[in-house]
Amino acid sequence: METAVLMLIGGVGVGIFGSLLGLGGGLLIVPLLTLGFQLPLREAIGVSLVCVIVTSGASAGVFLERRVANLRLGMTLELFTAIGALLGGLVAFLLDERVLAGLFAALLTYVAVSMIRPRPASAGADPVISGDTPPDEPRTFLDTLSGPGYRVRRLRAGVVGSVGAGIASALLGIGGGLIKVPVLHVVMGVPLRVATATSNLVIGITASTSAWIYLIRGGIDPYATGPTAVGVFVGASIGSRIAHRVDVRALRVLFTVVLLYTAFQMVRRAAGVQ
Amino acid sequence: MTVRTDEPPVPSSARAAGLEGRIARLLRIGTYSAVAFIGAGVVLMLASGRSPLDVAPALAPGRLVTDLIGLQPAGYLWVGLIVLLLTPAARVAVGAVGYARAGDRPMALIATLVLVVIVLGITLGLVSPAPGTQGG
Repeated sequence: METAVLMLIGGVGVGIFGSLLGLGGGLLIVPLLTLGFQLPLREAIGVSLVCVIVTSGASAGVFLERRVANLRLGMTLELFTAIGALLGGLVAFLLDERVLAGLFAALLTYVAVSMIRPRPASAGADPVISGDTPPDEPRTFLDTLSGPGYRVRRLRAGVVGSVGAGIASALLGIGGGLIKVPVLHVVMGVPLRVATATSNLVIGITASTSAWIYLIRGGIDPYATGPTAVGVFVGASIGSRIAHRVDVRALRVLFTVVLLYTAFQMVRRAAGVQ
Repeated sequence: MTVRTDEPPVPSSARAAGLEGRIARLLRIGTYSAVAFIGAGVVLMLASGRSPLDVAPALAPGRLVTDLIGLQPAGYLWVGLIVLLLTPAARVAVGAVGYARAGDRPMALIATLVLVVIVLGITLGLVSPAPGTQGG
């Protein structure tokens, strides 16, 4: 009873943090379950994938209704992200858990460094127009993927990034938005708001492709998944409602410290020091 | 074959909005239903004194209905998880049909291929051995 309630509360906290900072829950759920509840790493990754699908499903519908997400572009990229997730899901069961812990520590360190690095002045703003408008009559397949006020470019780079995001998602239990959003925005010229919403849509397919493999292979325990998933769902709902009232700058500093501490613990796990 | 000329053609943007609306509803219904089942499973789990760290019964599709009727927590949790994992695939299937109806062959093909990859993942998960994991 006590453990279930703690997992539920932990899930709520992860959901709120993730929602306020624009990160998927996966980055926090895996450390919470492995370091906090001593769950095996692979099982924690399975739980995390389920939580990622919950948050994606709840928010992607809203983004589609508001016509922020680009469905055509999302569907095109999710073919490749699903291929990556399929490969990653199969490889994940061949890797030693200490290798996975090392990879996760590297990911946490990368995100922590990204959060404390000063951002360019334009990064916080939402560039509604990318400056490259699509033609009135689409001439190529790429033209049909473009949206109002922006033209999609470098599809090949997007394909490669999507495969990579799929592999990372399946190996580490993350949604892969950390890779997809920069690829969509910086490489493919999609406005940040559209890139975030489209990535959110794609994440559902990425996570579910590998989650099926985890589920079939006994990598998802429903007892551990239940309280965490419900907590994340509740937390993400709370986070989206209070986001405009919270000073995210202070939260960002706190979060960076948490990430670095967690990365240190993951390195210890990778090195076999418990 | 007769061509009806008395009705104005539906603009492609309106068709796209219709498809996006259908997909958004499907995502919402699927996710909320799944969370409702999982939430019910958690309540039953707490009521029966089970811990999340206990090993849950493995997924047995033939036993799910019995478990639901018998208010077994694992039954509700498994149904919630399956509904949740099926929702993104159902979204792609709706997209494939929508694009095919609109005559958008490239997008219909892409959506179908996404479904093929998901089915391939399930098949490979079933047929290949799972080193280093327990059976459930």
